[in-house]
Amino acid sequence: MTIRVQLPPVLRSVSGGRAELQASGNTIGEVLEDLARTNPALALHFFDEAHAIRRNIVCIHDGELVRANCARTHAVRPGDEIVLANALAGG
Amino acid sequence: MTIALIVGTKKGAAILKSEDRKNWSSEFALKGWHVTASARDADGRYYAAIASDIFGVAIMVSDDLKEWRQLEAAPRFAPGKKGNADHHRLVGAFDFEGKYKEGGRFVDQIWTLHFAHGNLYAGVSEAGLFVSKDRGESWQEVEGFNEHPTRSTWMPGAGGLTAHTVLTDANDPNRIWVGVSAAGFFRSDDGGKSWAQKNEGIDSTIGQCVHRITHDPKNASVLFRQDHRGVYKSEDAGDTWQRAEAGLPITELSDGHRCSFGFPIVMDRPSKKLFAIPLDGDNFRFPANGHLAVYRSDDGAAHWSARANGLPDMSFAGILRGAMGADQKGGIYFGTTSGGLYGTADLGESWSELAAGLPRIFSVEAYS
Repeated sequence: MTIRVQLPPVLRSVSGGRAELQASGNTIGEVLEDLARTNPALALHFFDEAHAIRRNIVCIHDGELVRANCARTHAVRPGDEIVLANALAGG
Repeated sequence: MTIALIVGTKKGAAILKSEDRKNWSSEFALKGWHVTASARDADGRYYAAIASDIFGVAIMVSDDLKEWRQLEAAPRFAPGKKGNADHHRLVGAFDFEGKYKEGGRFVDQIWTLHFAHGNLYAGVSEAGLFVSKDRGESWQEVEGFNEHPTRSTWMPGAGGLTAHTVLTDANDPNRIWVGVSAAGFFRSDDGGKSWAQKNEGIDSTIGQCVHRITHDPKNASVLFRQDHRGVYKSEDAGDTWQRAEAGLPITELSDGHRCSFGFPIVMDRPSKKLFAIPLDGDNFRFPANGHLAVYRSDDGAAHWSARANGLPDMSFAGILRGAMGADQKGGIYFGTTSGGLYGTADLGESWSELAAGLPRIFSVEAYS
């Protein structure tokens, strides 16, 4: 089984318009790596110059908020859902 | 004659098209992204720089201004480079992770795209210059610029340490200029290997906050500079600068200096006419008394006069450095920080509002 990843609208131009992608991995970091392998244009958006997860990325894993600094090691299991939140402020 | 405008805003790009510059079609593309710059290459492909505070920067391409495709590559510094701590403080407001405290150098915006001699250049913040020789499919750092011996002394403006202007010489592919806020203006005469600072004559005491520079690439050595410290002209490729403000409104800056403050400056190359938009100094950064006026020079910045017919008398918005463009057919276009878009088809004799209510406008480029 795979992990379901919900993309915000701004990233759907890279996913062929799909709001949900599927990927594999034991952690959020591994899931993002897998997505970047299958959709190389997403790599720019997930990882910075040092290949760290971009510092402002916020994931919601089955209702739990996970910031970038914890995402590398945050465990996920097959069937889980990760929402990549477009956490903006103001207008 | 089709004129196309790419208006980059905080939340996407307004794409306007017209055959007669009276009736415009419009659509809103790249929704949700900061669109900070655009360019077109010699084969007619359009490039738009996009950014997100969360998902970083990228470049979109389109051959018809309808369908956009994101390139897999974008300008990125090599890992491990030392960043500018002051720049980090200015752009790191949402740095929950404390990543900037580690001191790395990151591309957080692409502020200009410039195509010349088969090369696509990108000027970015944290200040850097990149070049692509394959239509954006891969990018290389211009190391001679990015590792300039004076880099450790570069200071950001309030908007960050930003390489925002790239100019080239149509007759000499080895000559390139780059403007950086607030490290000044630089020129390379050897294709980017080495760079010299070109700010002699600019009346500045702290940093060198160049805002925008324009010229005709076919007569590249004559340059016009809207600086934080006024409007200047150079007739020797930037070696020396002279004030060129006759007829422009003079306002007071925060340190008491008096000059004509503004951001964009553009040229209609066929007529050589210049256009600038003076603002009420750096304290206020909107048109004095709300009277929005474009100033035009017909004689190479020797004299300027206002062209405000059709522009509002109650405008307290700013106009950012990249937010004015020329279609090189007599059309000049600019956008405001409150989302007003204005244009003229007769070199400023009359203006009309092309759009209202757009998000904050970062960039306006016109293509004919």
